[in-house]
Amino acid sequence: MIDWMAFLTVFVSALVSACIAVALFSLGLRLGDGEATWRRPVSVSMFVLCGAVVLFGIYLIVGDHLLTLFTR
Amino acid sequence: MDPLILVALVIALALFFDFTNGFHDTANAMATPIATGAIKPKTAVALAAVLNLVGAFLSTEVAKTISGGLIREGDGGVQIGPELILAGLIGAIVWNLVTWLLGLPSSSSHALFGGLIGAAIVGAGFGVIDGGVLVSKILIPAILAPLTAGVVSYLATKIAYAVTRKRERDGFKKGQIFTASLVSLAHGTNDAQKTMGVITLALIAAGFQGVGSGPEFWVIAACAVAIAAGTYSGGWRIIRTMGRGITEVEPAQGFAAEAATTATILASTHLGFALSTTQVASGSVIGTGIGRKGASVRWRTAGRIALGWLITIPAAGLVGAAAALLVSLGTGGIVGAVVFAVLAITGIFLWSRRSHVDHRNLHQPEPGVFVRPKKRKARR
Repeated sequence: MIDWMAFLTVFVSALVSACIAVALFSLGLRLGDGEATWRRPVSVSMFVLCGAVVLFGIYLIVGDHLLTLFTR
Repeated sequence: MDPLILVALVIALALFFDFTNGFHDTANAMATPIATGAIKPKTAVALAAVLNLVGAFLSTEVAKTISGGLIREGDGGVQIGPELILAGLIGAIVWNLVTWLLGLPSSSSHALFGGLIGAAIVGAGFGVIDGGVLVSKILIPAILAPLTAGVVSYLATKIAYAVTRKRERDGFKKGQIFTASLVSLAHGTNDAQKTMGVITLALIAAGFQGVGSGPEFWVIAACAVAIAAGTYSGGWRIIRTMGRGITEVEPAQGFAAEAATTATILASTHLGFALSTTQVASGSVIGTGIGRKGASVRWRTAGRIALGWLITIPAAGLVGAAAALLVSLGTGGIVGAVVFAVLAITGIFLWSRRSHVDHRNLHQPEPGVFVRPKKRKARR
């Protein structure tokens, strides 16, 4: 009746993706706060990686629809 | 009654339901960014409205059944004609407005299903309800959605607070704008299509559109505008409950909660286990309240919200059933049901004016209020 495997997949995917996005953004903030020259580029790359996760989210929402539009 | 007039009434009520769906669900995306001061209230609802509008146009998948499989429709089941759809919509609208008046974030989809179930039971008896679908698609997900989002949000909050220092946490406000926008976009693609499905099926049932055809462009455009207008109008009572009523939300918590909501909704949509956006968003706010040291969750408010989820389907069903009884009397009954709907909507609106809530009632913290660094004592 309930597809528990599907639920477990949803739970694990949501947990992993949310924690990765939050960890990347948090590291971006933490590393951006300091004097050392290496911190800024590493901080920016954390934000870029977090942005990539957000873009993947947008792709999940609209990707199929855009593909349908362009392949018509 | 002339089928054209009947279908016109169904379309008008469906679009009004779409409007209520919009303002009911603005809080899912925008309650926490507004509560933390990441974005001004009017700007937040404008952003959510635009993203809902865009999302509605991007969605191509229209509901194949108006009840999501809860009612045995089509061959061998009940034929849901425009009259029953009209009655079901009245149930959904009235319950959506009651929960809005009470500031309860309840699921608009459940209200729609409840209204239609009530109308279908009056039209064809209890045998039309698929109990297995009711348990597997509504009752168990209603427990799993807030639990899943709550656990994800709890861990995400722990990570955010473990990694960052107090003075850095104001930066989460910028991140909140992106995560909240994703929730709005996902909402537009999911919820507007339900109303498109209802209108399209009413047009097919009345013979104005071919069987098996998709929604006309004007239906898509009308639904997109209705949900966007509803979103823009606010739903400030529910925003107040979600943003301040459950727990006091700081920017790091808001970001963690929105990230958990977005991840859970996207995972559930794309991996085949549908969860209610409203229940996910509420669970995330509770999870983030538990996750921050020193924060407290107002369990009394959380309990009221859970009670609202439990009674949404039966309550909307009762109103839908009453409307279906009226509708079954013929043309006079249909007019009576519509008059009842208009009176109920007007009454709830007038009642809401007694304690008016809008964006001016929402206290927004000044920038930096959560992250004001401690003053160091001067060394002597």
